[in-house]
Amino acid sequence: MLVKDYMTRHPILVDTSRRVVEAQRLMAESKVGHLPVVADGKRLLGMVSRAALSLRPEQLEGLSFWDLTDYMARLTVGRVMTPLSDIHTISPSSTLEEAADLMIAGHVTALPVVEEGGVVVGIITQTDLMVELRNLLGAIEPGWRVVLRVPDREGEFRKIMLALATSNWGVMAMGCVRSPRHPGFWDVLVKVRYCEREELVAELKKIAGQEIIDIRETTSYTER
Amino acid sequence: MTTSPGKMNEPVVRVQNLAIAYETHSGDVNAVRDVSFEIHRGETLGLVGESGCGKSTVAYGLVNYLGRNGKIVHGEIIFQGESLVGRSPEELRKLRGDQIAMVYQDPMTSLNPVLRVGQQMTEVLTVHRGISVDEARTRCVEMLRRVYMPDPEAVMGRYPHQISGGQQQRVVIAMALLNNPALLVMDEPTTALDVTVEAAVLDLVADLRRDFDTAILFISHNLGVVARVSSRVGVMYAGEMVEQAPVREIFAHPRHPYTQGLMRCVPRLGADKAGSVLYPIRGRVPAPDRLPPGCVFEPRCDYATEHCRQERPALRQISNRHMVSCLRAEHIRASEWQPTEDIIPLMPAADAAEPETILNVDGLRTYYKQSSGSPLDLIGLGKKRYVRAVDGVSFTIPQGKTLGVVGESGCGKSTLIKTLIGLEPMTGGAAQFLGFDLEKKASKRDMGLIRELQMVFQNPDATMNPSYSVGTQIERPLRRFKVVPPNQIHAEVVRLLRAVKLDEHYYDRRPRQLSGGEKQRVGIARAFAGRPDLVLCDEPVSALDVSVQAAVLNLLLEIQREQGTTMIFIAHDLSVVRFFSDYVAVMYLGQIVEIGPAEAIYAPPYHPYTESLLAAVPIPDPSVAQQHIRLEGSVPSPLNPPSGCRFHTRCPRRQLLPDGGAICEREVPPMQDAGDGHQIHCHIPLETLHDLEPVVQIAA
Repeated sequence: MLVKDYMTRHPILVDTSRRVVEAQRLMAESKVGHLPVVADGKRLLGMVSRAALSLRPEQLEGLSFWDLTDYMARLTVGRVMTPLSDIHTISPSSTLEEAADLMIAGHVTALPVVEEGGVVVGIITQTDLMVELRNLLGAIEPGWRVVLRVPDREGEFRKIMLALATSNWGVMAMGCVRSPRHPGFWDVLVKVRYCEREELVAELKKIAGQEIIDIRETTSYTER
Repeated sequence: MTTSPGKMNEPVVRVQNLAIAYETHSGDVNAVRDVSFEIHRGETLGLVGESGCGKSTVAYGLVNYLGRNGKIVHGEIIFQGESLVGRSPEELRKLRGDQIAMVYQDPMTSLNPVLRVGQQMTEVLTVHRGISVDEARTRCVEMLRRVYMPDPEAVMGRYPHQISGGQQQRVVIAMALLNNPALLVMDEPTTALDVTVEAAVLDLVADLRRDFDTAILFISHNLGVVARVSSRVGVMYAGEMVEQAPVREIFAHPRHPYTQGLMRCVPRLGADKAGSVLYPIRGRVPAPDRLPPGCVFEPRCDYATEHCRQERPALRQISNRHMVSCLRAEHIRASEWQPTEDIIPLMPAADAAEPETILNVDGLRTYYKQSSGSPLDLIGLGKKRYVRAVDGVSFTIPQGKTLGVVGESGCGKSTLIKTLIGLEPMTGGAAQFLGFDLEKKASKRDMGLIRELQMVFQNPDATMNPSYSVGTQIERPLRRFKVVPPNQIHAEVVRLLRAVKLDEHYYDRRPRQLSGGEKQRVGIARAFAGRPDLVLCDEPVSALDVSVQAAVLNLLLEIQREQGTTMIFIAHDLSVVRFFSDYVAVMYLGQIVEIGPAEAIYAPPYHPYTESLLAAVPIPDPSVAQQHIRLEGSVPSPLNPPSGCRFHTRCPRRQLLPDGGAICEREVPPMQDAGDGHQIHCHIPLETLHDLEPVVQIAA
């Protein structure tokens, strides 16, 4: 679960001399939201995004229609890109959490992935993280999705695993998170297969101090 | 998780209705017409077809590398969302350096012979990316390790000529990958390599595609190679894409008559001449300036109708992801195909009588003297060293049978037959042919003996005099050997031409007016002119296209059956050898490690070396399961062959013996008789060898 496993390799790249209108067309036609801007040898210089390229009204104040056309025709990627000094980059061997953290901190939806030397090797976007989140919690095959609320103390997790292991049920996916708005508790999500709902509920109810707060059956997802 | 998030994205490259022409004196020649395809990240598109079908032109067209007279007539090449057509040479150069890489057939064309490997490799990074020399060096070593180069640090310090062909190709691939290209174009990258090296390079290509998510365009004329590396396959014919489908689909259900024809041309591994027949596709690829008005394949197609003659079919979707350009694709059943009369080989029944032994080779040795480079050499006192090219080879061949000889390059196959024919002096041992001793060199041999012993060469170009007409070349042996009276020579030449399926008109043609297959036919006619008893064939079909290969093999079989000729047949393609031969000898470092009836060689028990060769053969059928056995390194130097069993340095089966096969290093392996003339030279007991799982599992 590292950036290199989830990023898109060989992203579309542009250089600084490219005109903004062309970059916009490129993004629209290729259905991407971001373009790393590079120099020779794929060395990163900056980023442009569809959102950043949309013009704000105040930029256009005082420009006539003809001036505007002219202005747009001459505007190059180099002039509108977010420069390297203002963007976050990530290395291919970083974790996905680090990528998510950088995106949250920087209020961006994509990060260029660079190797040492600043060479662009890929791009990782919010969508890639969503795919990972879905696969992590959802796995791909159908099964029972159970959420247990457990007290924040040693040994609780072990109880769940023991219960599932003694019944020989398969665990496809799991995730633990501090219960939102319930200090002192953790929510544990497990996705179990090869069992009936009743037996699963019966077995989990035996664990003292834990509470099933949600159980539902999930089906398979579209692969991506 | 097998799905990568990149899959749903736009393709890395999309080619739409691409047409490429070459300007010539007589106007533009359209080499490629309306070709469309796309390649996604982590996908390999294999392009197959006979030579002259425009495969390479497409590849060069992608990067606009067409030479001065080539041009893109129309169509689009969209790479990473942008058109490459009409870009300036400078922009394209930058793109080729950064995002597109190419690997060609001959690695030496991409390597600078006067620079050390390390210097050329680091240059890519230091010049292009401004990376420091030390950093670049580390990365290059890492990349060489990635392409499974043995001892990468040492290789960095060598010149290209100091490493083997397979290693050179790995260096080229490593260099291509240093810039992590989005698109990798490989034009016949393994054609010049041995099967064992080829297998390793193909494994590498598959790994790289997965690890680097590179989009690969892989061009090959070899269906087996394409079956092994491709995810999708496009078949090209006469400049057009005639069929395109996922690899399993196209091999299981080829829909275009041309694709079906190609598959009938190649022998399946395990097929032999008694139980199966190769069917060449009749006719040949039309020249680009003389295309038929309708379907381009119509003149060679068994299913053609009037409609096909008039309308040129477009590539159309026939089922999900399967495209074909044939008007009648829905009506064609490959399984119901019947060969037309002109391509069925005439096979007179072979004599059932027990044949006599015609050639008896005993302990044959051919050594080449190698100077040690010491000054003592000058006065003849230097220590003499010998390259033991052939070192104690013994076998016999009964009359009218064929002995196939296989092995990697450098194993002594060619030296063996050159010694027999008298082009290399024999160092020791004996060879008896029809009571003649084959000790003398060809120039000192009796004319009668020369006549009875003829040779067919690999490269017909190099063995024909370009300024003599075909007729003159075939006449020469007839005159020399006085096969027929002088007044009948012309008639005899015409008869020979007919026998090799060429007609009288070829009498006055020059070699340059002939295609490769036709030249090889003339070479065969010339070899058989003196009605020899023994013909030595050194890779006679390796340089030919599959359909021509099938025709030439059929031709050799016909003449052999008719004249009762005995043959020694060298080929690196194990399927061809199996198909063609009655007996097979497997050679390694100048020695025969296994010999026996052809069918026995291809099933256990076999020598571990034979087993590895079989595991390496690319099989033109993706549903066949093949064991993964790969030989490490290359053949050791015959100057200083390993002690004991010569194969012990690379043998993957040594651990079957106690002490990890310590005995293999000490003792020469005994000959073990598996019955029926099947001999294996190996320390591993026959029973153990017998219990090995077969390398190739052919699905029923």
